[in-house]
Amino acid sequence: MRKFAVIGLGRFGYGVAKTLTEKGCEVLAIDSDEEKVKDVSNFVTHAVQLDATDEDALHHVGIQYVDVAVVSIGENIEASILIVMTLKEMGVKEVVAKAVTPIHGKVLRNIGVSKVVFPERDMAIKIANSLAVPNILEQIELSSEYSIIETTVPENIAGRTLIESGIRDRFGVNVIAVKKRVPTITESGEPDFVEEWNVSPMPEDRLEEGDVLVLLGPNEGLNKLKKG
Amino acid sequence: MVKKEENDFNQKQADRKAKVKDLIEMGEFYFINQKWDNAIEVLGKAQKMEPNNPDVYYNLGIVYEMKNYLEEAKHMFEKALKIKPDHECSKKHLNKLVGT
Repeated sequence: MRKFAVIGLGRFGYGVAKTLTEKGCEVLAIDSDEEKVKDVSNFVTHAVQLDATDEDALHHVGIQYVDVAVVSIGENIEASILIVMTLKEMGVKEVVAKAVTPIHGKVLRNIGVSKVVFPERDMAIKIANSLAVPNILEQIELSSEYSIIETTVPENIAGRTLIESGIRDRFGVNVIAVKKRVPTITESGEPDFVEEWNVSPMPEDRLEEGDVLVLLGPNEGLNKLKKG
Repeated sequence: MVKKEENDFNQKQADRKAKVKDLIEMGEFYFINQKWDNAIEVLGKAQKMEPNNPDVYYNLGIVYEMKNYLEEAKHMFEKALKIKPDHECSKKHLNKLVGT
């Protein structure tokens, strides 16, 4: 099991710590604010209040033994850089850090951060994409040319089988999974639905209105498919 | 005379409630059978007859969610929770949709 440290427990750090814990990871959460430490203390493995710019304090809690440290201090750029440098010097294998400006990101990259994240910018791009093309639920860019997208079944394809839809022939993209929502009645008698995944669907599988397709392919083909 | 009017009024209210219950059941039937547009139609009628029934909004919410009309679905779950803040099913679905 990989061990993580999350330094800075603002909205971003809190979200990272919570998600990692929910996925069964061991999480050491650190912040200088007592209240923030208290907020996460009931779910993370260890929660410690300390000044993360203090190398001795970090050493004392055993930060050098974590596999990945996530530095989610954006506002105080100086502290963010200092903490990253300290972590690298202490031999932390992988450091992920949050940046608030491009220059901040550049400095973090230059001092050896494995992954720099710009949560606000990334979320802005995601929202803008979803507003521009409302039926795109999720998009992961694999490279500048290839992506994986999650999209609803276009109206002109609903009711056809995968092979009849011609998605692969017409757009050069592969359907890697289909998510179906199956209506049901719960034990308490409420109508609800369960989500069923069909990974690597067969050519004769039928696509229905409301199904979600996970597609992999060149951006050009995906864009054509999005436009219908 | 006043008593009779009161009885008539109560009777009408009871009839209306029974009719809304029937429409919700019909909506659930269409939902289970994946007839989304029929479900929206009957639940829309129920909504007009009883605009303060959280179950009507919850049912409309899940139908919209099935159709991937996520904004409409969110709006319906929010309406259900405004009327009944502890409507657990609406809470569960809205939590899932927030952030999509």
